[in-house]
Amino acid sequence: MIPFSREEREWFLRNLARGLVEYFGRAEPPVQVEDMLLQPPPLYDADFGLVEMYSNLWDATFARPPSQRGSIFVRSDLPTAERRFALAREMLSALITSKHGRAMGLPELLLPHLRESAEYFARYLLVPELMLDAYRKQGGKKLGFADTFQIPLQIAAVRWAD
Amino acid sequence: MSMQALNQLVARSIVEPNIVKSFASGQIDEMIGDLEFSPELRKRLAGLEAGTFAEFAMLAYRVVKAAEVPVRRIELPSPVEGLLDDQSQSDSEQVA
Repeated sequence: MIPFSREEREWFLRNLARGLVEYFGRAEPPVQVEDMLLQPPPLYDADFGLVEMYSNLWDATFARPPSQRGSIFVRSDLPTAERRFALAREMLSALITSKHGRAMGLPELLLPHLRESAEYFARYLLVPELMLDAYRKQGGKKLGFADTFQIPLQIAAVRWAD
Repeated sequence: MSMQALNQLVARSIVEPNIVKSFASGQIDEMIGDLEFSPELRKRLAGLEAGTFAEFAMLAYRVVKAAEVPVRRIELPSPVEGLLDDQSQSDSEQVA
């Protein structure tokens, strides 16, 4: 594959996130990431499972057991904002490894930069550009930003500055 | 407008399998024919050689971005100009 810049990759990721938000028709924060996983587009029926687990090892991780549905395994005791971000981040792995994602060529493009790509994707899935623009136009401030979009404070700081 | 059309195409591709199928069957020109690209841009996009839809999208981004007409900057005179008459300007230059 031809090498692409970070800026080009981020443009692509923003549009993937936008496509999902538009599919679910959500116009106001918070984006319901859990609903996306529980009622996925038919294309991802075999990829968007959700499994609660008791663990102190990870917040969430995506796994696809051989010949089984791919699922995000998430710690059941995470605070809401952390849980939402972890699910959104791991959703990119579900997309990349899905049949459709492989047909699109997502693994070649995104796997070499998975962690960085997944966190960027999650920020734009939970805070789409249009919603952030609307929030700012309505006088929304940085102070209430994390609460409104239900994202962790440190993620809010990064997204506000994106 | 062209970049908006490309954004829309990529956004839809993650939930609409027919876009990727069109690309895989060599019919991406039909798909982009429905979008708001100029004839010249459409021709260039249809001619892109890519192994996957993701690669096509990234190459298309380069093409569309390069084709975008840069917004012309309006060059306004300095606000100081016009406030001072010629004599004042020459005086201040002499003082300086």
